[in-house]
Amino acid sequence: MSNLIEMKKVRKTYKLGETEVHALQGVNVSISKGEFISIIGPSGSGKSTLMHIIGCLDVPSVGSYHLQGEDVGKMNGDQLADIRKKFIGFVFQDFYLLPDVTAWYNVALPMIYNRVPPKTRKERAINLLTEVDLSDRINHLPNQLSGGERQRVTIARALSNNPEIILADEPTGNLDSVTGEGVMQIFYKLHEEGKTVIIVTHEHYVADQAERKIQLKDGMIEDGG
Amino acid sequence: MDRGFLLESLRSAIEAIKTNKLRSLLTTLGIIIGVTTVIAVISVISGLKTQVASSFSTLGANVLYVQKYPWVMGGAGIDWWKIRQRKDMGMDEFRALKEYGSSFKYVAPQITYRYDVKVGNKNARGVEVVGTTEHFPEIRDQGVKLGRFLSLDDIRYRRDVCILGQDVVNTLYPDENPIGKQVRIKGRILTVIGILKELGDLMGQSMDNVVVIPYTTMAKFVGHRRSITITVLAQDEEEASEEIRWILRRVRKVKPGEDDDFSINSSGAITKQFNELTRTMFIIMIGIAGISLVVGGIGIMNIMLVSVTERTREIGVRKAIGAKSSEILSQFLLESVMISFVGGIIGIFLGFSLTKLISTIGNMPFGMPIWSIVLGFSFSFFIGVFFGIYPARKAASLSPVEALRYE
Ligand SMILES: Nc1ncnc2c1ncn2[C@@H]1O[C@H](COP(=O)(O)OP(=O)(O)OP(=O)(O)O)[C@@H](O)[C@H]1O
Ligand SMILES: [Mg+2]
Repeated sequence: MSNLIEMKKVRKTYKLGETEVHALQGVNVSISKGEFISIIGPSGSGKSTLMHIIGCLDVPSVGSYHLQGEDVGKMNGDQLADIRKKFIGFVFQDFYLLPDVTAWYNVALPMIYNRVPPKTRKERAINLLTEVDLSDRINHLPNQLSGGERQRVTIARALSNNPEIILADEPTGNLDSVTGEGVMQIFYKLHEEGKTVIIVTHEHYVADQAERKIQLKDGMIEDGG
Repeated sequence: MDRGFLLESLRSAIEAIKTNKLRSLLTTLGIIIGVTTVIAVISVISGLKTQVASSFSTLGANVLYVQKYPWVMGGAGIDWWKIRQRKDMGMDEFRALKEYGSSFKYVAPQITYRYDVKVGNKNARGVEVVGTTEHFPEIRDQGVKLGRFLSLDDIRYRRDVCILGQDVVNTLYPDENPIGKQVRIKGRILTVIGILKELGDLMGQSMDNVVVIPYTTMAKFVGHRRSITITVLAQDEEEASEEIRWILRRVRKVKPGEDDDFSINSSGAITKQFNELTRTMFIIMIGIAGISLVVGGIGIMNIMLVSVTERTREIGVRKAIGAKSSEILSQFLLESVMISFVGGIIGIFLGFSLTKLISTIGNMPFGMPIWSIVLGFSFSFFIGVFFGIYPARKAASLSPVEALRYE
């Protein structure tokens, strides 16, 4: 059986004027369905870059990336958007919630792009918020929520189109350790429910909670690929 | 387009406009001015047109008014100084037209003065007293509704008789039949022989505040002479005009090659002159409107570029959760169209109010053609799309990663 995620010799090079920045220099990664992975490494080692490529926000400069057997490198912008919409849920360090709409509306937003009927949208958004213990924060605006609550809204949003993969970039980076622990438990629960969870972090105590650690350094995998 | 997505784009656009109310309002100023101008100009001109058309129809078709001055001074190549130097129109011209004219049915002089008309201590002030001949009713298509009109004998024997307009009757003989009774004009006693049919208003002035007398009688009590109007009932306006010109140029000794020193006015000619006049006005105002619309459009483009930059992160997030480039494009395009539309709606409202104000002050009929509203909406829509497309494309073409990394 082929892996869910299969990367071979992936390089990502950014051009900054004359100089080239090699964010990833030949990375091989395979992840199968349902795994709980952490990507760890020092700042600038290419963690976010790798996550963006896994999440189809970006494509490799060199090398191949197959997602569920399909060659992502050959896809156009609309096809990538479609994959992101249906297969991938993102959780960001800075939450990135829309400031002027309520928690439930933020959660429902991906469903709008997925053409889910309005009634189902709201119902499902409320269910998801309940799952992350925010049933009493449904009509709050983001600035009326604490950091941990905001991050849980973001997780609920990431789940709204029931994606195969959850990608989180430093999800605990802006939270204290207790709150961060709560968020990690949600990820663990999602993993137990069968989702593929990939968490980017530079904190070992976070990374250690995953089944498998992928260690990056200077754009190369040191361990766990 | 999907309804949920459309509603979300609408919500987002409204939110963006609401958060920056003042900025959005200032942005739409150009659109507001442009659309207001378009609406007001179209409405006022169309109101004027209706009025002119309906008013001058009471003057009758095929009636030529041969006069010293033109009714409308306008258009290119008008030499005001020369016009003011013209000789008065007099009875010689009338007699020449009557004698030599062959292409028209009737010709009659109209000598007009404003006098008070009195009965006892009742006084109708500033009545238009018209000295004319027995052909007045045929030419003006206005007979008497009671009594009789002037006869050839009234003219010939300079009889002291008169026909009253309805306004004068209302003032002087409100409760009795005035026929056979007498009125005083400039101390002279005249006997009432008839009442004219009513004509109504022309350009906001009553046409019934009038007394008609034989022009020969008028000569008895009018001291100084003034320019008269010669009215002609033509079979064909063009042909009659040519003949009148031919006769009058000889009578008034106009040298070959020189311009006519008289004017042949008619309802047809005035409508033509009026249309020429409004066309110039129209072009100037549309030019002003066009400039403000373009300025407004550039303002919208500018504000949308700012908006796209401010919301780069948001664009990144939307793309991350699955928004296609085309959906980002629609969202921002909708926002620019909406800003422009708000300007358009305010402009239509202001244009409406302005037209209403002008028509009230100028005592004109109020008319706002539907197509002017449609035009106002289409303009603002078009401007919104045209000037919004560049910022929207910029937003749509952002790479998701770049947008998310934007600080
Ligand atoms: N758009 C870009 N243009 C140029 N260089 C870039 C760009 N994006 C990333 N880089 C560079 O690529 C390298 C890897 O960046 P990346 O964001 O993946 O690091 P990271 O491991 O996520 O670091 P951190 O822990 O600080 O988030 C860095 O040296 C960074 O400067
Ligand atoms: Mg990073």
